[in-house]
Order: sequence, then structure tokens, then C-alpha cells
Amino acid sequence: MRISNVVSILFIFFSTYVSPLFAQEKFEKESRIRQKEIPAKALQFVEALPLTKKVKWYKEEGLTSTSIEAKFRHEKKRYSIEFDTLGNVQDIELNIPLSGVPSGVLDSFSLYLQNNCSKYKINKIQIQYTGEESNLLSLIKNVDANQKLNIYYEIVVVCTFNKKTDLFEYLINEKGKVLSTSKIIFKNSTHLEY
Amino acid sequence: MSTKRLFCIAFFVLCFVINTVYTQHSYQWGALPSLNANYSLKNDWSLNGRLESRILFLTGRSDGLKNRDVNYQLTDFALLGAKKVGLKSRVAGGFLVRVEGNEIIFRLIQQYILVRKMSGIRFAHRIMTDQTFSESEKPDFRLRYRLSTEFALNGESVDPGEFYIKFNNEYLNSIQDLTYDLEIRLVPLLGYSLNDRYKIEAGLDYRVNSFIRGNTRHSYWMNFNFFIDI
Repeated sequence: MRISNVVSILFIFFSTYVSPLFAQEKFEKESRIRQKEIPAKALQFVEALPLTKKVKWYKEEGLTSTSIEAKFRHEKKRYSIEFDTLGNVQDIELNIPLSGVPSGVLDSFSLYLQNNCSKYKINKIQIQYTGEESNLLSLIKNVDANQKLNIYYEIVVVCTFNKKTDLFEYLINEKGKVLSTSKIIFKNSTHLEY
Repeated sequence: MSTKRLFCIAFFVLCFVINTVYTQHSYQWGALPSLNANYSLKNDWSLNGRLESRILFLTGRSDGLKNRDVNYQLTDFALLGAKKVGLKSRVAGGFLVRVEGNEIIFRLIQQYILVRKMSGIRFAHRIMTDQTFSESEKPDFRLRYRLSTEFALNGESVDPGEFYIKFNNEYLNSIQDLTYDLEIRLVPLLGYSLNDRYKIEAGLDYRVNSFIRGNTRHSYWMNFNFFIDI
């Protein structure tokens, strides 16, 4: 085997082997907001949707950013639309089952998990759409706009690494490549336990 | 809820009401202030200390006898060592020392806790065994199960500066001197998260026991809890 081939294989192996120890920590404060606190542009976007169920609005404060989220059920699916504080739509997230992830994406991600966790279990999958506002609107209106949108997957996994079990959120692209890893920090539960 | 389950609950409530109305029962009112401190250690270990006092305001019986004397009853000091054994589960063991008048009562405690989260709600299942030893009474062995439910009053989870509702429901099976008893506790509380390390709670701790033997005792304790994470 040529040296360049060996280097390539090693590069591929190490690029997929990123220890969960290097993951960022994810901590969000989510609070309900009133109608008057919703940016007008975000409200306009949601009002243009053919929704029959109630929409719940939240302000989500992360460690570095703040966003507005609209959550609702539509045609038996649970949607979450994220806006920036000015009301510009950022993405649409939708809960999907494991079978909703294309097998190629799942295979790549499973390989990643096998390299990074001694034991793992996928807990939750969300498909995330980003793109033009009109295309995102069409997506919920059931118009076929998928091909014009960028698709990502947000996958929550219980991962055991070095005998330590934690919960991680991975953002992967359509090719199954891991773009970011965040360790989910649990809220204190002492008052529930004792 | 299935009809069968509804029927079982209705039957249990009916038995309980009949028992309460037609048998002699006693009751007591009081306060249970407590301070709970949790200290995190390395490698998923932690220590939990709890100080709780019991003050009695009123005791009475269904035949009309009442005693309104306010008196301090006891103080408990508990210390538990805990180890996280799963993503959301923990085992703990330790002891409790109860100072009641001139008597010292000693209790060994073992428990397993599993916390689950759903949208806006958290559940904690606690299975606990304890063994109580004192000079004046025979050893008391208990098997307990408690379900604690926390409802966020704002958003999907309880954040600093927010109120929450907590509801504890516990079943305590005890055997003392070959006599079995069941105690049921219902504890609705209103809590406030000052930040992720400090929480305060207030509510009512209702306990009922001895109803199996026909001399039901109802206890109503005003609960004031303060939790600190160090």
C-alpha cells in the first residue's frame, strides 16, 4: 500500500474519530412568551400557515444566542420553527422516526458512533430544513419544496465513553457527516430525588 | 384511562371514605421545615444532607377530643452518599439520626432514583428501604415507593426565576413486631427556583396510616423546604 493511501485512510479514520470529550455543552433556557412579545415578522410567517392546532411561542436563550420558537402539531407531526429575534425564519424542525433517515446517512452516522462510543442508543431524531423563506413556507403547506431546501439531522444519542454515560446532540448533514456535537446538560433534580 | 383502572381507583377511594367515616380516627396538624444540601464530588459521587424538624400545632380524635398545644416534636438529621449509575439514575445509601425528646433513633437508608423527562414535566421514581432502631420500640422495616412529578409553570422546563408545581405520592409499607402497616403520602408543593442551585418550596404534606387496622390517623404537615446545591 502506498504511503499516500495510508495517510488518506488515517485521515478519514481520525476525522470521524472525535471524542465526545471535545463536545460543546448545550444549555438552553426556554420560556413561554406572550403574543405581544413575538416579532411581527415571525407572527406573519406562522399566520400564513394552514394550522388548526394552537401554536406555542417560546424564547430560547442559549449560552451565546437568543431565538424565538413556534411549536405546534400539524397533520400528526410535531413542528418547531426557529426565528431570530427580528423574526427572520432560521429553520424548521420536525420529529421523525429512525426509519425516516436515509440508510446512507444512518450508516455513516452509525460508523461515527461506533468509533466514538463504546455503547450508544439513539433517543430522538429531528430533521432540520433551512433555506429560502418561501420554500420553508411551502414545506409546511405540503408543497414539494424539499429539493430547494438544505436538510440536516439533529440526533440525540445516549453515548457511553470511557465508562461515562452522557447525552449528546449531533448535527449531521445529508451525507451523514457530523457538523457539531453538543453535550446536553441536565437540569438539577436534587429537589425531586431527596 | 381504562375502565378497569378507574374502577380500581374508585373502589379504593370508596373503601377509604367508608373507613374514615365509620371508624374512629385521629388527626394532627403541624409544620415540617427542612433544609436539604447536596454536595457534588468527583466521579459522579455526591453527598446529601438533610435537616428536618417537626412542630405540632394540633392533635385530635373523631370523638371530639382536641389538644391545641404547640410543641416541638423532633429533629431529623440525614446523610446519604450517592453515586450516579446511569444517565438519569442514582443509588444512594446512608443514615438518619432522629432526636425525639431524650431518645435517639437511628435509621439506615438505601435508595434508587430514576428521573425521567417529558415536555414540561419531570418524573422521579424513588424506591427506598429503611430500617429503624430505637431503645423504646421494636425495629421497623420499611419498603417505600415515591413518584415525584414536577410541572414547569413557564416553558418546557423549570428555569431560574420560575415557579413550578411539585407533587409527591408515596406508599410506605412497614413491618414492625410482625405487624404490617401502609402509609400513603400526598404532597402538593409550590416551588420557586432562585437559580440552578437554590430552590424553595411550600405546601401541604398529607399522610394517612393505620387505616388497615381501623384506627386511621391523618397527618397534615405544612411543608417548607429549602434546597441548596453546593
